[in-house]
Amino acid sequence: MIKTRTWIFITAVCAALLAVLSAALLSSRGEGTVVEILQDGTVIEEIDLSRVTSRYSFTVTWGGKEPGSNTILVQPGAICVSDADCPDRICVSQGWLTNQAAPVVCMPHRLIIRLKSPSGVDAVSQ
Amino acid sequence: MNVKRLAEMALLTAVALIIFIIELRIPALVPIPGVKLGLANIITVYAIFRLGPRDTLLILIARILLGAAFAGSVMSLLFSAAGGLLCWLVMLFMRRIVTQKQIWVCSIAGAAAHNTGQMLVTAAVYRTVGLFIYFPALLLAGIAAGLFTGICAQLLVGRLRLGER
Repeated sequence: MIKTRTWIFITAVCAALLAVLSAALLSSRGEGTVVEILQDGTVIEEIDLSRVTSRYSFTVTWGGKEPGSNTILVQPGAICVSDADCPDRICVSQGWLTNQAAPVVCMPHRLIIRLKSPSGVDAVSQ
Repeated sequence: MNVKRLAEMALLTAVALIIFIIELRIPALVPIPGVKLGLANIITVYAIFRLGPRDTLLILIARILLGAAFAGSVMSLLFSAAGGLLCWLVMLFMRRIVTQKQIWVCSIAGAAAHNTGQMLVTAAVYRTVGLFIYFPALLLAGIAAGLFTGICAQLLVGRLRLGER
């Protein structure tokens, strides 16, 4: 049997490694200024944030198994979900997307807002 | 399956379901999609150590199906089924290598397995690999949640002696 002290050590090392890795990933910056909005894996909208001159918002509705809608707010250089009727509203609390690599996600409405990668490395398969 | 055993499993399923439904009411703690405390896992860990593989699987399946019915969410059924089954498999293995004082280790491994299953289903559903950027954060949250539920389960296994005759 492995000693409890060893298990604590293994757990602590794993947690520390994951903390460093996730901090690096979540704070990493993406390339370009074009964001794409995906619904159920399909691009439904593309916006170049550097060309946005005034603040505006629009609504994206989802008619799947758990229907609902997300209000998307766009301003020069930034985009966010300002309102949503999904149960957890994680998409709203994720805040503004400016140039970070981590996308804004609304799981229940299958919505993803992310920077469009210029090289296409992270493109949707099929 | 004798009646006593059946009643015990029904009781554990009911408790797991109640915990699951109460947890739905707790707002998201961190703005990372998929992070959950997973309190119902306490019952799964307890069952792994007290009841054995088959009965644990039955309780787990019953809780996932009923939970999805109560939450009214088909998507979450897919996530919890994939996560739950992987978690069950990993905990079966871990059960053999940990002592009664190390139940929390089994729970952490189960939570990490749950997150992995969840992540794989998410990637398949959204048809994108971009969401894996959240995976380390998800696993980290899984370790914390697994540790908490594991300690709860360990106390429960030590104190609650259902079905001993």
